[in-house]
Amino acid sequence: MTFTPEQAVVASILLCVAGAVLTLLVSRNKTAAGWLAFAVTAVTAAMIISAVANVLTTGPSAHPALFWAMPKFGFALRIHVDGLTAVFLMLTALIAVPAAFYSITYMRHYEDYGVARYYPNFLLFLAAMYGLVSTTDMMWFFFIFWQLMTLPGYALIRFENKKPENIRAANKYLIMMQIACVATMIGAELLAVTGAKVSASASLKYDFDTVCANLPVMLVAKPGMTALAFALFLVGFGIKMGMWPFGQVWLPDAHPAAPSPVSAMLSGVMIKTGVYGLMRYFLWLVPPAAAADYPLAKWGLVVAVLGTITLFTGTMQALKQEQSKRLLAFHSIGQIGYILLGTGACMALLPAAGPNAAALAAIGFFGALFHVLNHGIFKGLLFLNAGSMLHATGTQDLNKMGGLMKFMPLTAITAIIASFSISGVPLFNGFVSKWSIYVAAVQGSSSAKYLAVCAVIAILTSALTLASFIKFFGVSFLSRTSALVTAHVAKHGRLEVGWMMQLPQVFLAALCVLLGVVPAIAFNVIQAALNASQHSFGVALAQAAPMTGSLLCGLEEINSAALFAPVALAMVLGLMFAVTRALSKLGAAQRRAAAPWLCGYAQEADCHRYVAHNFYGEIKRYFRWLGGKPRPQPGKEPDLKEH
Amino acid sequence: MKLLLPILGGLANIAIVLVLAPFFQGVLRKITALIQSRQGPPIWQSYFDLLKLLGKEDIESGESPLMQRFAVYLAMATVLTVACLVPMGFAAPMNAAGDVILLIYLLTLCGICTLLAGLAAGSTYSLLGTSREMMTMISLEPLFAIAIVVGAVHTQSFRLDTVLNGSVYASAAFPWSGVIMLGVMLLSFQAFVQRVPFDISEAETELMEGPLMEYSGPKLALFKYAQMAKLVIYSALFVTLFVPWGTGLMFPLGWLVFWAKVAGLVLLVTLVAATHARYRIDQAIRYFAVLLLVALVALVLASYGY
Repeated sequence: MTFTPEQAVVASILLCVAGAVLTLLVSRNKTAAGWLAFAVTAVTAAMIISAVANVLTTGPSAHPALFWAMPKFGFALRIHVDGLTAVFLMLTALIAVPAAFYSITYMRHYEDYGVARYYPNFLLFLAAMYGLVSTTDMMWFFFIFWQLMTLPGYALIRFENKKPENIRAANKYLIMMQIACVATMIGAELLAVTGAKVSASASLKYDFDTVCANLPVMLVAKPGMTALAFALFLVGFGIKMGMWPFGQVWLPDAHPAAPSPVSAMLSGVMIKTGVYGLMRYFLWLVPPAAAADYPLAKWGLVVAVLGTITLFTGTMQALKQEQSKRLLAFHSIGQIGYILLGTGACMALLPAAGPNAAALAAIGFFGALFHVLNHGIFKGLLFLNAGSMLHATGTQDLNKMGGLMKFMPLTAITAIIASFSISGVPLFNGFVSKWSIYVAAVQGSSSAKYLAVCAVIAILTSALTLASFIKFFGVSFLSRTSALVTAHVAKHGRLEVGWMMQLPQVFLAALCVLLGVVPAIAFNVIQAALNASQHSFGVALAQAAPMTGSLLCGLEEINSAALFAPVALAMVLGLMFAVTRALSKLGAAQRRAAAPWLCGYAQEADCHRYVAHNFYGEIKRYFRWLGGKPRPQPGKEPDLKEH
Repeated sequence: MKLLLPILGGLANIAIVLVLAPFFQGVLRKITALIQSRQGPPIWQSYFDLLKLLGKEDIESGESPLMQRFAVYLAMATVLTVACLVPMGFAAPMNAAGDVILLIYLLTLCGICTLLAGLAAGSTYSLLGTSREMMTMISLEPLFAIAIVVGAVHTQSFRLDTVLNGSVYASAAFPWSGVIMLGVMLLSFQAFVQRVPFDISEAETELMEGPLMEYSGPKLALFKYAQMAKLVIYSALFVTLFVPWGTGLMFPLGWLVFWAKVAGLVLLVTLVAATHARYRIDQAIRYFAVLLLVALVALVLASYGY
């Protein structure tokens, strides 16, 4: 029996809902519920991945599949899996499986909380994300899936409900998501026409096809109304994805409050549904015939500038953080900025007249979509790392950590791979997507002047990201063992997490390296996705096909004006590494371990260690006006001298 | 043939950098001594220092010695890889392996390795130095990136051979952006090669070499070697970006002109270093911030074709 991709999505959603009921029934037994939730996640992920592979290789179904229609109210459940949807479905499946597997052991360490509020919500949350990126209804089913994502998300964020700050964070999340929902639905209402017929079976007011067919008239007759609708979409999806200024309101509080695997899902997948909405509504809704009346370049300006502000503010605020998961949450805002910049550059350049404009627009889009995947992978990994650190030390406070690499070598290695990936170190996946975005923005500056400045701010921010992760990794895994870590080692004997928590981290770290060394895989997938979503502006993007290159020889863009051959680079770097190593052995020097020199003191008190709080004092001071002050920890007086 | 030329060119670049770096350091030390009315060490002293350090005891003070070793090897390996990306009298050997964005990021990676080494060493002084070094890197990287981007905007290409060929002046109108960037890079060049007045992260009088404080023996030798090599590589980059004249000459002549220009730049670095006092970190950051604003003006000019 074979499923169509659309049937696979609906079956996955139903399976997740059934799984939610079942896990609720067995929730007395944490391990059994965990394995059951993992099994459901894995089965749905397998179905989704095979559906995605099907769409990417053989093309999408010609029409959305109708599952359930209520013509009286003008809504119907129509599901369509085209290339764009496929990429987001793939990301969801790719992160959900490690997160679910990680949860099995991770959730056992909560002594005060049962899993009855965890696994069922986790599965509903997953089902909602499958649905949200594949429904074609802009109103009712959008609303249903959005709420199905928001309410379990709310329950997951306030999972540790004995801490008042978690309840506050969850409430903020709930309010912001409802505002976003209302904004997006008002936008949809503005574009809708009553009584429009799409297919013989149903008259659908809010379907993509109806709106798409109606937009050419709307753009000419009511340009102001249409612009307002698109502005509302930008606000709604901007809130979801954490765009400045909305992201700072809810995201840095919500992500650290949730259990770590959920943080990974929130940051890795959930906020990407906002990116999906932005791409879908701005680039795949307007038919090509109406392109002349649609101010895409202006929207590109808005999105690119908002993206640049988002990436700079998010990362600068992240630099100030001293809590592991709060730091990562601010970086989610920062990385979303890169995605927005890539999308904005694409939108700005697509209607431009320059010789390479279409190719550059496509490169910007490739970069943005690849960064969506990459961010899901490395940020998911980083949250799992933070979860392992929390599991081992019982704290998120970076000031109290130190020297963990000695006790948690595997977590340390995966953490440094993730840190290198997010900072864009070459040979890791983050570099390639950022590289594409820079290429599009810098070369596109001949058509849209502001893009060069945006690109330079993005490069600068990349250095800030690096600084932040040098701090994150350095003070927790390197530096010197802190009193807290010593105490935990004395109590538990070993700190490294078990293999069931290691495996998901290793899997995601391997993906980071694989996509960094052979990025052509991802670019081929994205090209296939574009080929499989050829309507509206997707046609121009698919036809531009700006990348050439092979799995081993690397990538070339716009007639090899920009190129990157990671395999060759890896070989040279590896060879040089070996040469350097040999060079250091030349003198046959003896190795000896010794304590660091403390200027004559026998040992250093824990309070004299150089901790996260002390890093980058001058930069933090210069950018104090930007906000994002770290939360003082309960039980610790805020240090007034520094500020 | 297609692979042979890059390999030979790369080996040549690496060999030149490895041989010349201690020599330049020796010259630098000698001239500094002369300016300060000292006799100074012999010009070949840096070679002897490196050789001697290679045989000295290697004390690992950190709690994660694996990371210490990894950081040291990677630091030198990255420097040598970058040497293959920079045209030094000939075309860039690894022209087909990457572009200027890769170059920017690899140069940052060299810096990160020193930071990781400092963090892994676990001394408070190392961490203090690491924090300062990172702040300097944050403020410096955009300057170099803007210089590169100005060239890329002018030439509409990211290729090493196109951009690293005086591309900052390659505009149709008078290249104001190139001239401004030349000024900016000249004013910040000491910081790129980590010399006085911007050797804040090492500051031997207060931080005792900062991130490198705990290192000895072969590891210190490699770090020192990498630092000397960086002086050569950054000078070569500066020459290719801003002083391209004469590199097109016939083989021995063009090559000699190139290295003469690099030597001239090293001399300039030495003179500035010997006659200035170190800045405080906050002074340095404010200084770079002003340069960054000027550089952004140059970038805007560049995107309008000046």
